Parts: sequence; structure tokens; C-alpha cells
Amino acid sequence: MIDVRNLKKSYGKLEVLKDISVEIKEKEVVCVIGASGSGKSTFLRCLNRLEEITDGQVIIDGQDITAKEANINKIRQEVGMVFQQFNLFPHKTVLENIILAPMKTRGTPKTEATNKAMELLDKVGLKEKAGSYPGELSGGQKQRVAIARALAMNPKVMLFDEPTSALDPEMVGDVLEVMKQLAQEGMTMVVVTHEMGFAREVSDRVLFIDEGVIAEQNVPSELFTNPRNKRTQAFLSKVL
Amino acid sequence: MEAIMNALPYLLEGLKVTIYIFVIAIILGFIIGLIMALLRLSPIRALNWIAKIFIDAIRGTPILVQLFFFYFGLNSLEFISFDRTTAGIITVAINAGAYFAEIIRAGIQSMDKGQTEAARSLGLTGTQNMRYIILPQAFRRMLPTFTNQAIISLKDTSLLSVIGIADLTQQGQIAIAATFKAFEIWLVVGIMYFLLIYLLSLLSSFLERRFELR
Repeated sequence: MIDVRNLKKSYGKLEVLKDISVEIKEKEVVCVIGASGSGKSTFLRCLNRLEEITDGQVIIDGQDITAKEANINKIRQEVGMVFQQFNLFPHKTVLENIILAPMKTRGTPKTEATNKAMELLDKVGLKEKAGSYPGELSGGQKQRVAIARALAMNPKVMLFDEPTSALDPEMVGDVLEVMKQLAQEGMTMVVVTHEMGFAREVSDRVLFIDEGVIAEQNVPSELFTNPRNKRTQAFLSKVL
Repeated sequence: MEAIMNALPYLLEGLKVTIYIFVIAIILGFIIGLIMALLRLSPIRALNWIAKIFIDAIRGTPILVQLFFFYFGLNSLEFISFDRTTAGIITVAINAGAYFAEIIRAGIQSMDKGQTEAARSLGLTGTQNMRYIILPQAFRRMLPTFTNQAIISLKDTSLLSVIGIADLTQQGQIAIAATFKAFEIWLVVGIMYFLLIYLLSLLSSFLERRFELR
């Protein structure tokens, strides 16, 4: 589904990602962990070209997103993204937030988009908030709306960039629950997270990124209990 | 009192001209400002420079000189001719446009980058992002500054009397020439401008409340 080949990303002289290659299969849930500044968010943002890629290739569903002829807007329609800061549109209601992209990018009729949006809101437990504005919601509710907004495009892949890091502790559970359900339904997911419990329980594979490279990757049961790399050991001893 | 009553129809006639010129100029000015702001933020260097030169040239010269340039200057060229009202509207519009451009640019740049990232990650194009996400939010923020500039532009229209446009100020001068009641007439003219500007700020605070983010 996602094939990353020799991905490099630099800001000027600063090399943030140094030659990352990884393949993510359909329906796989991959968690990306690592210290802040390790490059894990940059890695995720390269997957839908929110960060321009310095060198290497990212191939999503057979399409090279770095190719000159690639239509990045078309590709992004298939790649949902959820941000740490939610980034809901504050001047639009919850419902309008969700139906905007399907209507404007795919020309979905309003009634159809609305039906789908209500279905998704029901799924994330916020049907009664359809008419509210983002400013009236709690952080956890905002993030669940953001997930519904991304799902409204029927993406093939969902990218999560530290989706619970800006939430009050008591809100984290609701959001993780929605993500867990999504994983169980077979969504392909790449999740940058500090939630080791979630990574351990839900993911099929965990990537540990350190200093711009994948220092170690394994199934969670192995990586968390039996890390082989010294840096993984050091990181896990701090966060677990 | 009688002098004022006699002058009033002429002053109201002038007020109409002032409002007419102001409304057209401010709408044109807004369009010019929006285009210039977008050029200024465009990734294409040349467009950037066009907007920058326009804005600097207008902000760097007195409006009276611009007025003389557009009316006397351009009209002295053989292939151009327009009447004083057109020259007056162009002057106020272009002047407002240069200031609007900077207001709009600052408004767009003050928007949280996350808004654009969210819109683009959903597959919206850059233009769609501007139109549906960035500008609607930026305009709300800019409303008080817009009002400020609109008030300045309204006052600027009084300069147009210099080239003989029959606006409120010009009609005041004519009325004084006929009645010699300078104190009373200028007082009435001042009150008329004041009421007009007061209405403008009422409209602005109404719009601000109307579009307040909940």
C-alpha cells in the first residue's frame, strides 16, 4: 500500500530523515515511536507530501507521489490525515467541516455527503454535535470530528500525527477507542504516537525512529519486551 | 438658520455625490487590494514584484499628487481622456487598494498554518483552500481594520473637491460663496461627514457581531 524507498529530507544543511525505506501493507497498522525531534512526524508528513521530499520515493497504491506528473491533490484525497492540533475549520459547523472536501473535490451531492457525514458522526459518537461549531467542543470531541472528516473521503490510508498528544488525559481514551475500532475494520494506518499502550495493543508493527533512521522495527510484543537496539532500549526505559 | 435651510438641498446633493464616489471606490479598492494581496503572496517572483511596486508607489506618494497625476497628468496625454469623477474614483480606489492589499496580506499570513495543512491534506487545491478556508476566516479578523481604512477613504473623497467634483465639500464651498455663512455651513458639512462615518462604524460592528466565531 505504501512503499517508501530511500526517503531523505533535509532543511538546508540539517538532515532530518536519512535514507528511510519501509513497506506498509494493506490493512496493516504501523505505529511510529521515537523521541521528539527524531524525525517521526516529518516522516509521516512526507507520506502525503505536506513536507516536500528531498530525495527518494514514496509510492502509495502504485502511484509515485514524488513524480512530477503526480496529481498530489488527487492522491491526498485517498490519504486521510489527523493532526495533533485537530485543525478543524472554526468558521464551519461540525457537519460542514465533514462535507466540505467530498463536495468540493469529488462533487458529491450535498444530501449524499450529509448522510455519509451523519453516519461517520454516529460512528465516533458525536451525532448530536453536527450543528455545533468546533469552538463549542472539547479536545477529544474535536479530534473525533477530525477523524470523521478524514474518513469522509473514504481514504485508503489514514495517517495520525500524535493524535492524542494535545488532549487532556481523560479525553485520550475516547479517541484511541475510535482508532482501535478503525484498525479492527481493516483500515491501513500509520500512527505517530507516544501512547505505548496503544502501540502495543493495536499495532501490527512498531517502527522506532531515531536520528532520522529506522533504528529498529518489529511486532510490538517483540519490540517492547525484547528490544535489540541499544537506543531502543534507552528510549523505552524512559517512556515505559 | 435660513441660510442653512437654503443651502441644505445643495449640501444633500453633494452628500449624494460623496456617497456615490465612496461606495464605488471602496468596492473597487477592495477588489484591487485582494488581487494585489494574492499577487504579493504568490510564489511567482514577478507577480510579487508587481504588487510590491504598486503598493510602495501608492503608499509612498501623497493622495493629492496621485489625484493631480490621474486627472491632469494622464489627461494631458493625447490618447487618454476621462472626466473628473472617473479620475476621482480611480484615485480613491487605487489608494484604498494599496492599503487593503497590506491589510489582507497580513490577515492571510496571520492564519494558523494548520488550517492550510488540514485543507490540503483533504485534497483541496490551493485555490479552494484560499476560497473556503483561509479568506473567510481572515476577513472576519480584518473587519475592524477594513473599517478603519474605509473611514480614511471616505475622508479622502473630500480632496476631490480640488478638481471640481461636486461632492459635499465642494457644495459647502459653493454654499458659502453664495451666503457668506462660513461657520454655519462648515459646521453642517462636518456633521454630515460625521454621521456618515458613524453609520459606517455601526455597520462594521453589526457585521463583526454577525460573523463572530462561536
